[in-house]
Amino acid sequence: MKLIAKYNRVTIPIIIGILIISSVSYYLILHRILIYQLDKDLRVEQREIIQHVEETGQLPETSDYKDQQIFFKPTERKEFKDQYSTEDIYNKREDEVESFRRIDFLVNQDGQYFIATVKKSQQETEDIVRLILTVTLLIIVILLLILFISNRVLLRKLWKPFRNTLEQLNQFSFSSKNKIALQKTDIDEFKELNQTVLFMTQKVTRDYQALKAFTENASHEIQTPLAIIKNKIELLSQSENLSENDINVLQSVNEAAARLSRLNQSLLLLAKIENLQFANVESVDFSYMLNRYLNNFDELAHAKGLKIFKAIEDRVFVKMNESLAEILISNIISNAMKHNFAGGEIRVELTSKMFRVSNSGPQPHMETRELFGRFKKESTSGDSLGLGLSIVKTITDIYGFEITYLFTDHHHVVEIIFHHSIPG
Amino acid sequence: MKILIIEDEKALSESIADYLSVHEYSCETAENYHSALQKIEYNLYDCILLDITLPGGDGLKILEQIKEDKRKDGVLIISAKNSLDDKITGLNLGADDYLSKPFHLSELNARVAAIIRRKNFDGNSIIHFENLSVDTQKKLVTVENKPVELTRKEYELLLYFVSNKRRLISKDAIAEHLWGNEMGGNYDFIYTHIKNLRKKLMDAGDADYIKSVYGMGYKFTDK
Repeated sequence: MKLIAKYNRVTIPIIIGILIISSVSYYLILHRILIYQLDKDLRVEQREIIQHVEETGQLPETSDYKDQQIFFKPTERKEFKDQYSTEDIYNKREDEVESFRRIDFLVNQDGQYFIATVKKSQQETEDIVRLILTVTLLIIVILLLILFISNRVLLRKLWKPFRNTLEQLNQFSFSSKNKIALQKTDIDEFKELNQTVLFMTQKVTRDYQALKAFTENASHEIQTPLAIIKNKIELLSQSENLSENDINVLQSVNEAAARLSRLNQSLLLLAKIENLQFANVESVDFSYMLNRYLNNFDELAHAKGLKIFKAIEDRVFVKMNESLAEILISNIISNAMKHNFAGGEIRVELTSKMFRVSNSGPQPHMETRELFGRFKKESTSGDSLGLGLSIVKTITDIYGFEITYLFTDHHHVVEIIFHHSIPG
Repeated sequence: MKILIIEDEKALSESIADYLSVHEYSCETAENYHSALQKIEYNLYDCILLDITLPGGDGLKILEQIKEDKRKDGVLIISAKNSLDDKITGLNLGADDYLSKPFHLSELNARVAAIIRRKNFDGNSIIHFENLSVDTQKKLVTVENKPVELTRKEYELLLYFVSNKRRLISKDAIAEHLWGNEMGGNYDFIYTHIKNLRKKLMDAGDADYIKSVYGMGYKFTDK
C-alpha cells in the first residue's frame, strides 16, 4: 500500500466523521438562532396587539395569511403565562406539512379575557437554514477536495528525494566503479536516509571489492603451486619403471590437478570479468571471429561426425571487448560440441541482431535457466566444470545482451540478442 | 643450446630444467631480479624463460634491458597472472611468446623449440626423426622423402610430438595444445586425430612412432 493511501485511509473517515458531526451541530445551532429570531418577531406582534387593545379597546382583526395568522379565543382564565410552541400543520393547497411557530398570550379587553394566538410560518427560516447549510457544506467539501489534491501534489514533491534515492539504489551495482549519486535534500529525515544509504553502499562496495580481490589473489597464488604439481607429475610420468598401479595413481592425480587448474582459471576469469578488467571495448568483427573459430574446430567436428550448419551474416560488428567476444564464442560452441551425440548437428546463426547456436544433445535434467548458475552442470564427468555458461552469462550481463537457453525439439538452443550491435 | 630460467619458485625452475635438459639444452636458473640481470650481463642465451613477477623487481624491466642491449636472446614470458595486459605489454616489448601458469612442460618445451628454431634462421628449420622430417617453414612432412598430406591439426599434433620426442605427453597437454583450454578434459576428440595421424605415417613408410602409454597419454618414439 502506498503511503498516501494509508494516510488517506486514516484521515478520510476522520474528516467525514467530523464533517457529519459539525454539520449536524451547525444545523442545530443555526436553527436555534433562527427560532429565537422568530420568537422575537412574535413578541413584537404581541406587543402591537396589546397596545392596539389598550389604545382602541378593540381586538384587532383576525388574519389568516399564509405566513402569519392571528386569532382570538375567549377564556375564563384571568391568568395565563405566555406560551411558545411549534406545530406542524398540513397545508392542503400545497400538499405538505408546514411548521409554524406560535405564541399564546392573554389579552384583556375591558375585563373580557381572550387568548390571543399568533402563528408565524417557519418555512422561510427553514429555507434559509437549509440554504446556509448547503452553501457552507459545499464550501467545506470544495476546501477538502483542494486540500486533498494539494496534499497529493505536495506529498509527491516532498517524497521526491526519497524516490530519487530509491531509484539510485535500484540502479546501484556492486561491480560498478561509479559511486551512488544522491540528490541533495533539506529534509532532515531524508538527509539521514541518504547518509545511511551512502554509508551502506560504500561499505558493501568495499566489501565486494575486497572479496573480489581476494578471489583473484587467491586464484593467482594457487596458480604457482598448481604449476609445480602438474610439472612434477609430468616429470614423474617420464620414468620408465613405473608399475601399473603407479601409473593409475599418477593418472588420477594428474586428472585432479588438471581439473583444479581449469577450475581455478575459470574462477579467475569470472572474477576478472566481474571486476570489469576487460574494460577495453571495441567494434569486434563477430562474423570473422566466429568463422575463424569454427574453422579451428572443423577437423574436430568432422572427427566426431558432427554436421555444422552455418548461417553467418558477413560484417556483423559488436561493441564489446575482443577477448570476451572470443571467450563467449568458444564457450558456447565448445558446449555445443561437448554435449552432443556422435553424428549430431550444430546450427550456428549470426545476424546483426542475434547470435544463436542450437545443437542436438541429451535432454537436460534441470531447468535450462538454472544452467547459467555457477557449478550447475548436467554431467558429473570431469570435463565439465559447470562454469562455462555462467561465464557466458556474466559476459552478456555486463554488455546488456539478452540471453536465453531453451531445450526444444531435442535441441539445445542458446540465443543472444545484441542490443547495441552496429552494422558495418 | 643455453637456456636461462628466471623463476623465483625453486620447485618450478627445477622441474623446467629437468625436463628441458633431456632435450640437449643446458639450463641455468636465476631466482631473483638481480641475479637474473647479472647472469644476462655475462652470458648469451638461446632462450630466456622469464617470470615477470619476481622478488626484487619487475620481470618486464629485464625484458626491456635485453631489448635495449639489442641482444638476440629469445624470450618466453611465463606468468601466473594470465592477464591480457601483461601479455600484450610483454609481446610489444619484444618477447617471443607468452605462457601462463600452470602449463604443461611438454607445451613449454615445444614453445622453446619453436623460438630457438626461429632464432637460428640459418636454414635449419627442418627437424629429423628417423626416416621422418618436418620442415617447419614450409609446413611440410616427409617420410623417406615422400610427402605426407596432413590436415592442419594433424600437422600441429606431429610437430608437438616431434618437439617432445621420446617423452610421455599427457592427453590433457595434447588437448590443450590443439584447442586451448576450453576443450581440456575432453579426450575422445584427440583419439581420432591420433588414429588418423598414425595411419597416415604408417601408410607413408612404416613410420609407427606414436605409442599409446596405458592410461597416461602418448609417446613419440622409435623404441
